[in-house]
Amino acid sequence: MLLRLALVLIALFASQAVLVALVSALRRRGNVYVTIVGVACLTAPLAAFADRLLFGRPLDPDGRLFLALTHLALGGFLFHFMTLPDRSVTLRILVELLLAPDRALSLGDLTARYGVRTMIGSRLDQLQDGRCVTIAADGAIALLPRGRSFGRAVTAGRRMFRITSAN
Amino acid sequence: MSSWFRRGFWQRDAAAGVVDQPVIRLLLPVAGIAVFFALSWTTVFLFQPRDPKRFFLGYALLLLVAAALVYRALWPIERIEDALGLVCDLLLQLLACLTMWNAFYSVLWGFSGSLIYDLFNDAALCHRERLIRSYEGDGELDRILARRLPNLVRGGWIDRRDRTLRLRPKGAVMAIGTLASFKVFSLGMGGGVK
Repeated sequence: MLLRLALVLIALFASQAVLVALVSALRRRGNVYVTIVGVACLTAPLAAFADRLLFGRPLDPDGRLFLALTHLALGGFLFHFMTLPDRSVTLRILVELLLAPDRALSLGDLTARYGVRTMIGSRLDQLQDGRCVTIAADGAIALLPRGRSFGRAVTAGRRMFRITSAN
Repeated sequence: MSSWFRRGFWQRDAAAGVVDQPVIRLLLPVAGIAVFFALSWTTVFLFQPRDPKRFFLGYALLLLVAAALVYRALWPIERIEDALGLVCDLLLQLLACLTMWNAFYSVLWGFSGSLIYDLFNDAALCHRERLIRSYEGDGELDRILARRLPNLVRGGWIDRRDRTLRLRPKGAVMAIGTLASFKVFSLGMGGGVK
């Protein structure tokens, strides 16, 4: 029973990962997180009714509910996994070193390839796309209501955990 | 005790309108998540550990074991549905713990969260160039690298000699895996840059 369950988990996770990879390849400018949520939600009913295929016999309604929720949870893990390569500054530094000649870079070369100016510029653009801020032609940044809510939430969260220095 | 739970209280009682068993079983991870948050908050707020993720990992694993023991005491594994319920509970609990953990690091401690925190709390930084300069600082390393490079060196991922950084084998494995993810999921070059 345990082996069968392990194989089912692997199959559910792998099928979602393959679908996300395919959709991302077709929609290169799309948001990968939206793709993951979409794939997980759209395929959850299929997973619930794949009980005969996965276990060799039909499950009762409780079992189908657990199967669908398990499928959604695995989609959640894929979502978290994706934040690592997609967002992590540390991993990007390692990749820049991997791609460099002799796998070595001076500090100057590293910051020329992936420096604070690039990082902040890109994240500000993303905050602007997310309607959190507007950036005027002269560089002035104004927080929009969504950005103010985000700022209030981060400030409250940091106060709650007594975080005084970050990033 | 457990048989009392099973027979006396937790069993389905449709006539009385008592909630179904699957829903009751799903309350177990809810309890685990609440305990995880309480423990994590208490630890970070009171003790301010240098590396909170070690505590988060420890609490998440301990609570998984606790949830598995409670589940098996209340609902013995007799059918595949029971086993699936246990796996489902554990995965949901672990996912919620990971979500809190990730939110703590990404939103409260991470880069975009810090940017919005600075913009919200310091009007003087509400300008692209001033904001960038505040991160560049006056030292050899900017604010971003100054936090990450020492950890990479300490963890054995890279070597640093004077002003040169060199990838170590352990770092190369991680970088190759990351590069593969970039390709497989069409992520561009990652690192939060689109």
